[in-house]
Amino acid sequence: MSTVCADSKCASPGMMQRFREANRTFPKSPEILSAKARGQKVMGWVCTYVPEELLHAAGALPVRISGYAKETDLQDGTAYFYVNNCSFARSCLQLGLRGDYDYLDGFVAGSTCDAARRLFDLWRHYVPVPFSHVMTVPRKYSERALDLYLSQVVQLKKGLEAYLNVEITDESLMKSIGLYNESRSLLKALNDLRKLGEPPINGSQTIEVMNASARMPKETFNDLLRELLRDLEHSKQRGKGRARVMIAGSALNNAEFIQSIEQIGGLVVTDELCTGTRYGADPVAVSDHDEPLRAIARRYLHNFPCARMYPSEERFQRMLNLIREFRVDGVISQTIRYCSPYSNDLPLLSDVLNRNGIPMLSLDVEYGTSGSGQILTRVQAFLEMLEARRK
Amino acid sequence: MTTTAKTPDRIDAILRACRLMLRMNKARPDARKSEVLYYEMLIDYCTQLATARQQGRFIAAHTVFFPSEILYAMDIVPMHTETTSWMTALFLGEYADLLAAGAEQGLSSEICSPHRGLAGALTIGALPRPDVVLWSNMVCDNTAKCGELLMRITASPGFFLDRPFQRSEAEVQYFVEELRDMIAFLELQSGLKMDWDKLSETVRHMDEQIELFRDINRLRQAVPSPFHPLGFLELVTVDYLFPGRPKATEYLRTLRDELAAAVAEHRGAVPEERYRLMTLFMPPMYLIGFLEKLSREYGAVSVTEPFFCNWGEGRLDRKKPLESIAQKSYMLPESHMFGPMSDKAISEIVDSARRYQVDGAIYYADVGCRHTCATIKLFRDALSDLDVPVLTVDCDVVDPTVTSEGEMREKLERFFELLEDRR
Repeated sequence: MSTVCADSKCASPGMMQRFREANRTFPKSPEILSAKARGQKVMGWVCTYVPEELLHAAGALPVRISGYAKETDLQDGTAYFYVNNCSFARSCLQLGLRGDYDYLDGFVAGSTCDAARRLFDLWRHYVPVPFSHVMTVPRKYSERALDLYLSQVVQLKKGLEAYLNVEITDESLMKSIGLYNESRSLLKALNDLRKLGEPPINGSQTIEVMNASARMPKETFNDLLRELLRDLEHSKQRGKGRARVMIAGSALNNAEFIQSIEQIGGLVVTDELCTGTRYGADPVAVSDHDEPLRAIARRYLHNFPCARMYPSEERFQRMLNLIREFRVDGVISQTIRYCSPYSNDLPLLSDVLNRNGIPMLSLDVEYGTSGSGQILTRVQAFLEMLEARRK
Repeated sequence: MTTTAKTPDRIDAILRACRLMLRMNKARPDARKSEVLYYEMLIDYCTQLATARQQGRFIAAHTVFFPSEILYAMDIVPMHTETTSWMTALFLGEYADLLAAGAEQGLSSEICSPHRGLAGALTIGALPRPDVVLWSNMVCDNTAKCGELLMRITASPGFFLDRPFQRSEAEVQYFVEELRDMIAFLELQSGLKMDWDKLSETVRHMDEQIELFRDINRLRQAVPSPFHPLGFLELVTVDYLFPGRPKATEYLRTLRDELAAAVAEHRGAVPEERYRLMTLFMPPMYLIGFLEKLSREYGAVSVTEPFFCNWGEGRLDRKKPLESIAQKSYMLPESHMFGPMSDKAISEIVDSARRYQVDGAIYYADVGCRHTCATIKLFRDALSDLDVPVLTVDCDVVDPTVTSEGEMREKLERFFELLEDRR
């Protein structure tokens, strides 16, 4: 039996505690509440197709809307959303309905999937905020789609300027782009450590860092992450596992889910989650002849895609690249129940991975799950199979 | 172009069922002439599909709300995927083998049953293999995501039509360009050319049809309602399958005239109209016969279905066919379902309830349809302001294992009792 690293052993315990605290107290994290107390506007956003740089450049604090990072009875969320909508959306709405996001000045969403757009509809109706905006997000990568998405970014900019009574200048956009790119670069450095045979940080700790990344001012987060990276650089502790695993799927905020896999010997080295790798993926690349807004639009539309985009091949190819770079032995796909984009892609993903000789375990889960007995039994069997293949 | 002589079973079976319905209708002395036309159109549609292979014609499978006006103008045989699924359940009641075949493709049971069944039907060859697969994000994630798997199953090329979520000028123009690309794709794949005159004529018919849909809806405000209890299903099918077809115009004109005559004579569709209902979303297809019978028994008539029958404002311009088709996608009664659920859309529900003097609303909560079910609370709350009770029935549009006839009877009877008590 192999071992995985606990905080006390391999990651910087003090730094991890900072990230963990921001997550434990979320949505009412001290960092958010103090920004609010200073008079800063707080803008909630849903889905990785909403350009955070724009919210930041407008002087607001962008906060990613998420649900309970634990198994929770979703009575209210279900009453408003009905039971057949994904538990991520129901969980987010329930927090909203119960007043946990009562500090929000705005709510920005994209037409990314049915659950996200209906979350916007229900939020607007039942959890009203002074500013609400939904963006049309094309599903293609073409230049025409980029032009359309850019027009949506421009609309959002105008809306923010009008509501906040500010001018979002190219200069302020460039500053925000720089800040967010720095964050992506730091996250890349963190993830690169996981390419090592024995990484100094494990998957559950990485998820804690990722969760915190969208729940505090980016400036603070970057400082904390830089410190964590310094600590990890000198850490002598290393994680080991029976097999190197990638987690695939949409939103995952409960680090316990990853931890439960790691506790039985899975070494979670990468993921393609929208709360993980995809969030911190490509930087905004501004070339000499580019307008900052166009560069932002290109990054968000062409970033490591969600299953909503067409063709799916782009996502699969990015996954295969990660699988190669991180020397992944097997993929654990965690599909949140009633998530149509990911459910529909599953047969195709399964084919792609089969053709490339990568085993996949497909789990249907509820958002917030920590990994129940039945799930762990299946993960255990999967890890045994992966271990046998390595020998 | 692929051709095989074999006619797939389900289309043949649907065709036989439609022919039987037509014969029965013709034999009835009180049969509506429009109903005869309706079944004739269905028979034409299925015949065309059943014989397309033998005749070497090009078949395009397409998802719901896809602008099949373009296919008709190119002389391409359309196969409406969801409606074909519904007709299988409605006329044949046989669906289990299709769902099982869909599951074998790896489709989770949470994906809506018409799409799972369709994937299954194409897997086992119960429907003709299409030459191309066309799909769009109208109306949901399932329609947006089904195409690539269907391409794999049928080994056919495909085109995804990306219809923007909202209706700005830029978004409409984006959609127009998408339509142009799709036409280029179809021309390349089929070797057929777009007949722009024919498309223009199709748009002219479609424009007239929309006006007729509006006329028919206005007539349905009459008390008693002149249209039969679940008549809206005919209207929905006509727009899904025959948009811009001359015979559809003839059907709608005939129906409009029949309803106008009935209204003038104060003649209702059921002997004694007791409950005027609003229908929200699609009732289970395998129970349509039963629901029709129960409605007649209780004098319950669906008089308004805002998301199937309330067309948005605007006219189509035959001189700008692609722009018109793009605009039509935003005028569709169902367009609120694939756009933002604005306050205007919600107030239209309330306004419909008032105008049609409804006693109650039935929300068919299809377990596979997430985006519609997410509006149940919104609509229930909006209708409660008018004191209109809403019955929510869990069901599945084609899978009979979710709700039985007995369960449906019990729920509806209780609801009718409640409506009676409120009088």
